Amino acid sequence: MTRKLNRVKVKLVTCMEKTTYTGRRAKGFDVSKLSFNLCDRLLTDLERAKRPVLKATKCALDNSFYNPDVGFLEAGDKKVATELNVSSVKKMSRTVFMLELILRNINVGAINTKRELYYISKGEIKHNKALKPLDFDDQTESDTIIDFIGELLECYREDLNCYANDRGGQTYSQQLVVEETMPSGEKAIIDLSKLGTSPFQPKNRPQNLKLKAKHKIDFCLIVESEGTANTLVNSGFTKRNNCILMGAQGVPSNAVRGWCRLIQTQLKVPLYFFGDLDAYTLQNIFRTLKAGSAASLIRNSDFCAPEVRFLGVLPDDIKKYDLPDYPVREKDVQEGRALKKARDALQNDPFFKDKKNKGLSNILKWLIQNKRRCEQQAYFSVAPDDPWMPEKIVLDKIKRKEFV
Amino acid sequence: MTTDNTITKSSSAEYFSKNLQQVGFSSFTKATLTTVKEAIDNSLDACEDHGVLPDIRVEVDRLGLGTAKGADLIRVRVQDNGPGLTLEDAVKVFGQYLASSKFGRGRCSRGQQGIGISAVTTWSQLTHGTGATVITRTKGMKNAVQCEICVDIKKNVGILKTKQIVDWDQLSGVSCEFIMDARVQLNGDGGIITYLQGTALVNPHLNLRYKLLDAEEVFIERVSDTVPLIPERTSPHPHTMKLGEFLAHSHLFGKTNTKKWLKEGFSRISDTVIKELIEKGMPESVFNKTLSSVSEDQLKQIYAGLQDVKLMAPPTKSVMAIGEADLAKCIQRLGEIDFFAVETRKPTICDYKPIQVEVAIARRREKSEDDRDSPVQILRFANRVPLQFDKSACAMTKAVETVNWRPYGLTQPKKSLPQGPYIIAISLVSPFIKFKNASKETVDASDELVEEIRHALQKCGHKLSAHLNREIKEADMERKIQHLEQFAPILVDGLCRITRSNEKRKERAMAGLEKILGKDSREAEKEFIHAQEKSEDATKLMAENMGVSHEELLEQMHGNGENDNERDMPEQLELIVNTGSGK
Ligand SMILES: Nc1ncnc2c1ncn2[C@@H]1O[C@H](COP(=O)(O)OP(=O)(O)OP(=O)(O)O)[C@@H](O)[C@H]1O
Ligand SMILES: [Mg+2]
Repeated sequence: MTRKLNRVKVKLVTCMEKTTYTGRRAKGFDVSKLSFNLCDRLLTDLERAKRPVLKATKCALDNSFYNPDVGFLEAGDKKVATELNVSSVKKMSRTVFMLELILRNINVGAINTKRELYYISKGEIKHNKALKPLDFDDQTESDTIIDFIGELLECYREDLNCYANDRGGQTYSQQLVVEETMPSGEKAIIDLSKLGTSPFQPKNRPQNLKLKAKHKIDFCLIVESEGTANTLVNSGFTKRNNCILMGAQGVPSNAVRGWCRLIQTQLKVPLYFFGDLDAYTLQNIFRTLKAGSAASLIRNSDFCAPEVRFLGVLPDDIKKYDLPDYPVREKDVQEGRALKKARDALQNDPFFKDKKNKGLSNILKWLIQNKRRCEQQAYFSVAPDDPWMPEKIVLDKIKRKEFV
Repeated sequence: MTTDNTITKSSSAEYFSKNLQQVGFSSFTKATLTTVKEAIDNSLDACEDHGVLPDIRVEVDRLGLGTAKGADLIRVRVQDNGPGLTLEDAVKVFGQYLASSKFGRGRCSRGQQGIGISAVTTWSQLTHGTGATVITRTKGMKNAVQCEICVDIKKNVGILKTKQIVDWDQLSGVSCEFIMDARVQLNGDGGIITYLQGTALVNPHLNLRYKLLDAEEVFIERVSDTVPLIPERTSPHPHTMKLGEFLAHSHLFGKTNTKKWLKEGFSRISDTVIKELIEKGMPESVFNKTLSSVSEDQLKQIYAGLQDVKLMAPPTKSVMAIGEADLAKCIQRLGEIDFFAVETRKPTICDYKPIQVEVAIARRREKSEDDRDSPVQILRFANRVPLQFDKSACAMTKAVETVNWRPYGLTQPKKSLPQGPYIIAISLVSPFIKFKNASKETVDASDELVEEIRHALQKCGHKLSAHLNREIKEADMERKIQHLEQFAPILVDGLCRITRSNEKRKERAMAGLEKILGKDSREAEKEFIHAQEKSEDATKLMAENMGVSHEELLEQMHGNGENDNERDMPEQLELIVNTGSGK
């Protein structure tokens, strides 16, 4: 840390080549320059004995706006202002300290996870006693600072060369070909049909990928349960259909969200989500996939697929296919909380409030009223001796446009 | 008639000897505590009755193994300087149930029933075969007499086993000794030290010496030279009576004129009150009749009318509070404390009964690691008797739990006792305390009573917060000054490195930052000084109430460590630690 960072204005190593990628990064985003400006402003204020104020975008539901034209949650004007005073000086010092570590990483092209950054900061502090007061007690403390920097500079965590562990998004297709531009500039071509039974897993850098279809792809199916996605592939779903099949693995990670966005913009195929019928899936999993989340307001534009449709399980399916379902008990702590959150969402979540998503809010209403839930695996009960039944139902629903 | 009487008497002794667990002998550890407690209660009552400043000495020894499995052989000796008992009375007191001078007096005495000490005699008789060994001397006796007294369980009369004249360097007083199967628990909720300290807390006029097992003798000196004025017996207050009691009361006065009965048989009924009743529609003639000629319906009407009239609170004479000044002195006898606050409420009516609530809160100086997470120590008192068992259902515990202590600076998990090295003492005095059960350990938690206690606690908490706030502001100020020193250079250095600024700029920024943060810490300093003043105001007021100088009080509170008390009372600070019984 004592070493001076002499080259500040460096080209972002992670900066993309020419892609069809649409987000703000395409406008040329330079963390080093932004940081320089920010610090320069702070110093100038200090020189004038004026209290510097750091303004960060407020990433919360009350600053989220749903724009039906673009289809995702956008940030409003609300900022969280941190004024320098004896109480905030610690946070500001930590922010500048962490920023310096990040700039060094960017400078040399190094990439780290949040946990690694936590240990790197520990190491710096260990070797420099003067920094002792900054020491982080645990990773949540350093994570908060990293997030804060992202909100200050209005940039992605990846822009800070800080990557999350990519989770979920295992993808199968007989038609899809991915071209990846590597940091060195080299290109790798991945033909998913050549991977055998292995899936392709997208990394959280969609800007480096270019997608091609060997044959026309009819649709992309995103399955909530990774296991069920696997079952479908094993029983030949991707062989019989020109499609992309993906497992979401619960709440979609940034990688999954960015990957779906890429499929939507580059391939222009319809996307369907196949998951449980319950408040949690609808609110946390599907809403995040379709419109992003309040916590990631800054990145929603590139990290959600507004075109994705909810294929099921739909309330009508229960009757139609005579699916086994379960009561939701208000008394159960977890389920009670989910119900309360659902009621809350109808009132306050701009996504569910918008009339464009009336179909989805109706499902939510249905869930609250009927207090039932039904899992996606219930399709396997329809014809227990026919392993292809779930596939048939999915295809049938797509054909008849039975989705929301 | 006489035979009947004997039967009643004999059955009562038999009844109690078979049901000793109901009167405090439900376990071996409780046996020791009950013995100490009954003897001391009696001594204090007797001294108060006779205007004597009590000097009480307690000795508890372990003589060896007891006869019963798991019991030790314990000797308890309690000696007082009270009026003493004649030999004849002593035999009754120690050997006969239901022989009490305190029946139905409507006074706040500790003993009420005439069971206590006879039960102790029975216990030692049953477990060790000896009764009470008593030395007694009244002012009228030429010499002190030592005697052994037993209970004749069949007949419920005292038996004088032996007696001899002994030399005693006291002009009057009683010393009683019991040897019994028991065990000794010193600390913790049911501990003897907890009891003794509690007793010292609510009896400012008490000189207490105690020697427990092998520990050094402890002396707790009196902090007040006035014997509490024994409140006079009071006539019942109309609002303290239920209809049935009111009617029963009337039957005792048959020939009396109704108006006279109301005015003299009750407290707080005056001519104006009767006039008000008449204005409200009671025919005036009723008040001039004799009671026996008034119909029950009319009596009921009078009763109902009285409940609607606003009457003065019952006379405060019937309740005997400790007073803030003495309570303040007493709480400092519990060991070294940082600061404290006391609150004495005005007497009031709860559930138709006059009651007075007092609260003292102190923070112990000596703190251990777990103090912060363990609940505060609650000392409960009913008519100056420490209550040591079944605290959870007690009105006083309920009140502490339902006060929100956080605004006063204490930590408190949801719906439970606050935490920290604090002592919260609550004292209820009333001629009629309603207990939940016969063992008199839990005060019935009626809504009204809990609310009244809560008020006292809140007031006291508010007073305490002045001192706590001073500490909080001090810590805040220190933290802020420290922040300034620690972070200012780091922040400026970092900013300068990122912007590649030169030394000049760095110096200017540093100067600017110091200016900004210096302002903040000066602000914090101001707040601290303000809080300090407030806390000082509080102690000044306290000192004034106590009749000592401010310096003296501060000296007492933040003593210089050479305090005599400190050497005398080391174990006093371990009240919370439950060390179980002594071996
Ligand atoms: N140490 C003493 N000095 C003088 N009188 C005493 C002493 N101890 C007891 N007495 C007298 O003996 C009486 C009986 O005492 P005892 O403990 O049996 O009953 P109590 O104190 O009236 O009621 P309780 O059963 O509630 O203790 C007392 O009322 C008191 O008059
Ligand atoms: Mg008694």
